[in-house]
Amino acid sequence: MRGAAMRSVLLTLVLAFGVTACASSGHPVDLATVSSVDRPQPVGVEVNPPTTTGAATQVPPCDPTASLRPSTNLPQPGAMPTGSTMRAIQDRGRLIAGVDQNTFLFGFRNPTSNALEGFDIDRVRDVAAAIFGDPNKVQYRVITSAERIDALKSGEVDIVVRTMTATCARWVDINFSTTYYVAGQRVLVDRASQITGIDQLGGKRVCASKGSTSIARLRESPAPPEIVAVDNWSDCLVMLQQGQVVAVSTDDTILAGMVAQDPNVKMVGPRFTEEPYGIGIPKQYEDMVRFVNGVLERSITGGSWVTSYNKWLAQAGDRAVPPPARYRD
Amino acid sequence: MVTAAPQRPPGPSAIGRVTRSAATTPGRLSLVAVLLLVLTAVTGIVTALTAQAKRDTLDDLVAHREPLATAAQQIFRSLSDADATAASAFLSGGVEPAALRTRYEFDISQAGTALGKASADVGGDLMAAEQVEILSQQLPVYAGLVETARANNRQGFPAGAAYLREASGLMRSKLLPAAEQLYEINYDRLQAEQESARSVPFAPIALVVVLLLALVVTQRYLTRKTNRLLNIGLVAATASVALTMIWGTVAMVVLSSHVGDAERGGAQQVDVLVQARINSLKCRADETLTLVARGDGPGYEQEWQQLAATITGDGQGNLLRQAKDLASSDAMAGEVQLAVQNAQAWADAHRKIRELDDGGQYEEAVKVAIGDAPDSAAAAFGKLDKNLITALNAGREEFFTQTTRAGNALTGLVPGIAVLAIVAAAGITFGIRERLREYR
Repeated sequence: MRGAAMRSVLLTLVLAFGVTACASSGHPVDLATVSSVDRPQPVGVEVNPPTTTGAATQVPPCDPTASLRPSTNLPQPGAMPTGSTMRAIQDRGRLIAGVDQNTFLFGFRNPTSNALEGFDIDRVRDVAAAIFGDPNKVQYRVITSAERIDALKSGEVDIVVRTMTATCARWVDINFSTTYYVAGQRVLVDRASQITGIDQLGGKRVCASKGSTSIARLRESPAPPEIVAVDNWSDCLVMLQQGQVVAVSTDDTILAGMVAQDPNVKMVGPRFTEEPYGIGIPKQYEDMVRFVNGVLERSITGGSWVTSYNKWLAQAGDRAVPPPARYRD
Repeated sequence: MVTAAPQRPPGPSAIGRVTRSAATTPGRLSLVAVLLLVLTAVTGIVTALTAQAKRDTLDDLVAHREPLATAAQQIFRSLSDADATAASAFLSGGVEPAALRTRYEFDISQAGTALGKASADVGGDLMAAEQVEILSQQLPVYAGLVETARANNRQGFPAGAAYLREASGLMRSKLLPAAEQLYEINYDRLQAEQESARSVPFAPIALVVVLLLALVVTQRYLTRKTNRLLNIGLVAATASVALTMIWGTVAMVVLSSHVGDAERGGAQQVDVLVQARINSLKCRADETLTLVARGDGPGYEQEWQQLAATITGDGQGNLLRQAKDLASSDAMAGEVQLAVQNAQAWADAHRKIRELDDGGQYEEAVKVAIGDAPDSAAAAFGKLDKNLITALNAGREEFFTQTTRAGNALTGLVPGIAVLAIVAAAGITFGIRERLREYR
């Protein structure tokens, strides 16, 4: 029934025109042509992003590793001095820490236990233990490299422990604790790659995290690469594994975390920078800086620094020596 | 078919002979008969074809358009659910629960199957073809990324989270927009076809009216020429044409009314529910991804706030309330009312999740989000989704029933028109031949 009348009309038309119409030019028709493939990319990836680090303002020369001297005795946990920054945190009932959940060995989410772990996380737990007597009284707020300074300036977090290099430019906006680890920038490539160092990366696609010192260093390289900027360091490993970049360049500690996840990548070339990691603290809270420095000093003398180092980083480098504390006052 | 061919004198001087014979009354009568027969034939054919075309459109609505719009909607639902499920599985930590794994696998198969059906239909529509191409190219890529994420997760590597983020980014930036657009294209086509089913068929109406007028004028002419009041043949012809007109009009009115019901209580209702479902699925993905990002995804929570306004609250933008207004039955209205309540329960659970998470109780927040407690967000979302599915299916049922009824209004119309046209032609032939005989 359906379309019976239509079909008869169509048939007539086909008979009328079909005889006169010939097949068009003699080529087989290709229905499914694919000329290019859209490769998946991490969210927020940018190629050669414009420099945002305030190069316009003059940065006063300084020793970025020198912090504020702690008072001789740390207050007892749960008894922070009245009116202090630590007291406000104690009264709130939890320390708010800006951390990473994507950098293996430093700050990462253990997919099995769902908990945040790593060398940086241990530092946060030390501070929480010193304030509350309980290392678990922490609210972790995951932030990207680029968000670290703003999170501190806005007061969104109390401290930032996120593989953060103390630099003079950053000292303008925030305070740093004493150095709790010294890393150095290196290059990570595929095991089969011919590249042996940063000088061979000119014009090649190299991944680094937005707002990191690593990205600035790559720009200054005599053979500047094409920089692929991502939000998280683990995005760099993904892009390297997918063959979308030829190398990743950042601190050797972070790279060691990538090697630990994939035996088919290797670190090449020497360390070409020195990155002293400090805990970031808002500029106005100097009492907090001194307190955190006291906690760091105690963790080094008390052995928790070494335990944590051996747990996470012994495989990365062999310098089981805590960096010496330096003070500017 | 009735044609004028045998009545037309053959030969090269045909036109001349017609003109000459038109000068005499019998000749003029013959000419009028031929013209009336031609007009009757054309009217019969056009009207029958129109009725058949309407019938075909209605059949196509039920057999193709509506199922395809549903398939497009299913692509979106499955993909969005896969995204939220993968995030939930990740949040649950360790080896993912078997139920979530099964759900994800089911979502991906469902999306693939629905995509296959949808792609068979896009032929002429470039926009739809483009969306289908994006979907079929990126779906395997998405599934590959999720599996890579899973492999890394099982080894305890945070690269797994990075792969999952990439997968989710691909889903949200390419797959879901394409699926949403494909649904919209399909819904527009459904609406266009409903409109064409309902549209007033001007050509046959005009032809029938002209034929009727011609018959009336012919009879008045004959009455004047022959002083006879009635011509049985022509009266019969007029009656059958009038009957065609009445039958066609009644069928058209009934059809329009059913198609209108199918539009309101069926298609529009389903569309509003689909929009509500799409938004609720997006909200669910936002909710879990906010927790996965652990503070690093403020965009997700913002989107939640925006979209939640379309499924909760008293505002005009609340799609569930709109759906309730469109409901064609009490059962449907009741189901949508349940959906309204469950959406509210979900919004409450969501508020609790945000309070817990913002207050530093992340583990508790995760429990409320994906746990199976009766007041968890997962439970409320599950109930809401069930309500929406039930209401959607009721809406589809209504669409099917009303469209089928609209089709039934046309039952017998095509053969009826053919018979009536033949009766009219016979009447004209008989009636005019009567008068012609009187001139011999």
